[in-house]
Amino acid sequence: MNGMHIIFRADRLSISVAVFVAFFSVLIVCYSLGAMRGKTRLGLYYGCVLITFLGSLGAVFADNLVLFIVFWGFLGIPLYLLIGMGEAERASYTAKKTFILIGGTDCFMLLGLAILWQLAGHPGLAQFRMSGIALPLTSTAAIMAYLCLLSGTLAKAGALPFHTWVPDASEDTHASVAAFLPAALDKLLGIYFLMRLTLEIFHMTPAMNTFLMALGSITIIAAVMMALVQHDLKRLLGYHAVSQVGYMILGIGTGSVLGIAGGLFHMLNNTLYKSCLFLAGGAVEQRAGTTDLGRLGGYAKAMPITFGTFLIASLAIAGVPPFNGFASKWMIYQGILDNGQYGGGLWVVWLAAAMAGSALTLASFMKLIHAVFLGQPSTQAAQLPGDSRESGPAMLTPMVILAALCVVFGVLAYSIPLRLVVFPSIHAHPEFLGLWRPVAATFLLLLGLGAGVVIYWLGAAMKTRETKPFVGGETLADFSAMRVSGTEFYKTVQDMPFLNTVYRLAEKKAFDVYDVGAKLTFSFSRVLGACHSGELPRYLAWCLAGTLIVLYLLMR
Amino acid sequence: MTTASAVIPLIVAVPLAGAFIIALLNQKIPRLPDLLGVLATCVGLLLSLWSIYLVQVQPTSVYSVGNWPPPLGIAMVMDGLSAFMLVTVNAIAFAVALYSVDYMERFTAKWQFHSLFLLMLAGMNNVIITGDLFNLFVFLEIAAVASYALVAFGTERHALEAAFKYAVMGTIGSTFILLAIVLLYANTSTLNMADIGRALAQSPAPHLTLFVSGLFIAGFGLKAAVVPFHAWLPDAHPSAPAPISAMLSGVLIKALGVYALCRVLFNVLGLTSQISSILMFLGALSMVIGVFLAIGQWDLKRLLAYHSISQIGYVLLGIGLGTPLGIVGGLFHLFNHSVFKSLLFLNSGAVEYATGTRDLQKMGGLAARMPVTASTNFVAALSIAGVPPLNGFWSKLIIIVAAIQAERYGYAFWAALASVLTLASFMKVMKYAYWGGLGDAWRDVREVPGFMKASMVVLAVVCVLGGVLLLPGLREVFLGAGVEALHQGTHYAAGVLSEVK
Repeated sequence: MNGMHIIFRADRLSISVAVFVAFFSVLIVCYSLGAMRGKTRLGLYYGCVLITFLGSLGAVFADNLVLFIVFWGFLGIPLYLLIGMGEAERASYTAKKTFILIGGTDCFMLLGLAILWQLAGHPGLAQFRMSGIALPLTSTAAIMAYLCLLSGTLAKAGALPFHTWVPDASEDTHASVAAFLPAALDKLLGIYFLMRLTLEIFHMTPAMNTFLMALGSITIIAAVMMALVQHDLKRLLGYHAVSQVGYMILGIGTGSVLGIAGGLFHMLNNTLYKSCLFLAGGAVEQRAGTTDLGRLGGYAKAMPITFGTFLIASLAIAGVPPFNGFASKWMIYQGILDNGQYGGGLWVVWLAAAMAGSALTLASFMKLIHAVFLGQPSTQAAQLPGDSRESGPAMLTPMVILAALCVVFGVLAYSIPLRLVVFPSIHAHPEFLGLWRPVAATFLLLLGLGAGVVIYWLGAAMKTRETKPFVGGETLADFSAMRVSGTEFYKTVQDMPFLNTVYRLAEKKAFDVYDVGAKLTFSFSRVLGACHSGELPRYLAWCLAGTLIVLYLLMR
Repeated sequence: MTTASAVIPLIVAVPLAGAFIIALLNQKIPRLPDLLGVLATCVGLLLSLWSIYLVQVQPTSVYSVGNWPPPLGIAMVMDGLSAFMLVTVNAIAFAVALYSVDYMERFTAKWQFHSLFLLMLAGMNNVIITGDLFNLFVFLEIAAVASYALVAFGTERHALEAAFKYAVMGTIGSTFILLAIVLLYANTSTLNMADIGRALAQSPAPHLTLFVSGLFIAGFGLKAAVVPFHAWLPDAHPSAPAPISAMLSGVLIKALGVYALCRVLFNVLGLTSQISSILMFLGALSMVIGVFLAIGQWDLKRLLAYHSISQIGYVLLGIGLGTPLGIVGGLFHLFNHSVFKSLLFLNSGAVEYATGTRDLQKMGGLAARMPVTASTNFVAALSIAGVPPLNGFWSKLIIIVAAIQAERYGYAFWAALASVLTLASFMKVMKYAYWGGLGDAWRDVREVPGFMKASMVVLAVVCVLGGVLLLPGLREVFLGAGVEALHQGTHYAAGVLSEVK
């Protein structure tokens, strides 16, 4: 094991990520002081948050890959425990699924590490950076190493095909945990390592760039389509957490400086608004006692600050200017155009996917805001009038800070985050294509918004509803048909030809790597198990056959 | 023979004496079997730690039994590999003896248990330090026969059936080994392992060597439960009382199987690339088939037993690579597997002790009532799954890196895949046994008594801190000499024979 030195080393990228890690740890602890009050096993909870914080710092500052993987793999343990602490009945199942996906890909990362070590002659991380010698992705071994290491980052960040733990975990665990891990820290770490991998350790080829961009685009579209039809607040947010990773991968996959900067910037922005959304969602959950969209509604009046932060974060995630999500998506679009100029023939497809994803995100958040904050209060919520008030300051402070940052990072995108954090981190100062083309910006923006509106109306206008004439004077609560909860907004999407098949398969978990893998494993296990019938003669026959084969192989 | 080496036979004599004293005085003093069992294993552990020191001072020391000089008399040879194995075996034996004090209260004739247990330990210790091939066979049989009896200790129907199968198959393995020894004796006229190595070097007999190697692979492979010779294990290991399962899976298959196989193949007959390939292939096969069989099980102990097959595959793959790094990984995994697999079996025993069931589907939520068992089981599960920074991670990492460096990409892939499935099956154990809602039947379940807890906690601490053994300084002391002993190959003969003269 020569060449293994335990040292930490910092550069601008790792410092930027570490600052965000620390920032989120503080916010989450602050939020938990309010949200977790009165819960059991708080010692374990805060202990896990703390070691997650320390482990993440270790991972971003690790100087060699062995140390990095030790911290990276170790982070699976607190994640598993935190998810397992959730109150949902399925929590222990989800924790198990999460750990199998994350830990399983970590095993393949070991394989990738071993191949990389063999190819490069050292397991250094900083060594690649300082020598400037990256491995070309030309040999099969190098491609295998890249894919193995990539699988770990995809699982951690929650991108296809290893994303399936994110929606489950978001739904079944505490909102603070969802805001802390899948929404913030795991994104930071996953994309951090993807950047190291793509920019420093390996020298990308056009084919691999195309692969990454395709992966990103599919992630954006598939996850946002799933988000459209969800009935649970936290699960819906979980699917968006997956969808947003697609943008980061797409940006980094373009290989252009602008796209990479956009990907990194989007990672930071995403952690801000996605955490904010989960925290606000958690505040609503605490009041309503449920995250089922059908049973929520009308919380804007009771919780105005929560509503305000949620609205800002929603607009940011949908990419509406002047919020931060727009700024980074805009850079990613330009990165795609840039990639197109240098021969990436499929740039139209990637651009279309990114923009369609943006429109669908907006559509999905229209539904969400309607269902949670606007619309009619559901009967269940109405019965709890005394409980419908704003959350305490411990919970509101982090939400307000995050929402404020969403605005600051959007309006002052260049002068604060880009100049101070993003560009130094990638050691480049890219030129914007045609200096922030406002016309094109507005055009693309309107196109995205327009598409969102069209989809919104597609849901609302194509539906005719039969109901008794409403005379006036009736109590609304008696007219369940009068209440539009929002969960049915995009039901029509589910009924479209082709899409209905896809949705049905998705419901059966045909696209879930975990479920498909489990089915394959257990069927193979059953076959082997059936061979072990417990009959002694059969076992003796195996021994004899084994001996004869060994002897034949040796003596031939 | 130096004065220091005169202590070597004590490591066999102490447990052997303990076994007979317990049998003689069984009814006279009530707590004597417990006391002697713990005491003898404790002395064994101290002696084995001392042997690590001895090896640092003098790489190879030889003791001639009865002062008959080898090759005529029986020699006991202490080198790095023996010292390493002795520490592994005796450390686990000590933890298990401690655990048995409380656990075996449920059985009648506790003295028989302790007596057989010490007999088995004496057999293993002698297999490890003997330098004589026939002596190895005799003590291998002593340990094996004691283990047949221990598997049947519960005297229930399935235990008796399992013990019978185990005895039949074990005997077949022993027959292969005996046949191989006879062929070697007929050809070289000596039974001393170093002397056989010297004789084969002087007048090579390539066909005989290969044929004998094949027989040894089959015979010792059966003792080590390598696929396809594994079928006795999933019946025998779960049927035994939990501490014995821990001994069988933790150390017996390694002392009688892996250690003896490696000693004979590497140091006496010489490792050829053919044999190395066969070892690696059998290792990979066990690794993958074992884990696939394990993941489908609902009987907790049977699940653990199949994982022993899988983990032995890792050990064999690492050692079979034949490179120094591979041997480091293999030996370190052997040690780590001893620790976490014994711990897992002890945990399963604790669950059975408290609830009376081994069926995962009937358990649930036990973490609330049995926090020590649950947390130590969690540590062991993470270790066997190779989650950093626990000990299992390091040895798997080394094995995978070694396989890649030897350009065995396929085997490295299977090792990674088996690791994923190992993680999955232990997540299954944790979910069904310990997490989730507490079943109504287990409202009044209580945590196990003190000795059992102490033993589990000690093993869990070793799992957590195991990685420390790789730090420079400790690495050379604990693993270095063992790796050197295997990697020197047939130079073993020269080392031993020079000590004799």
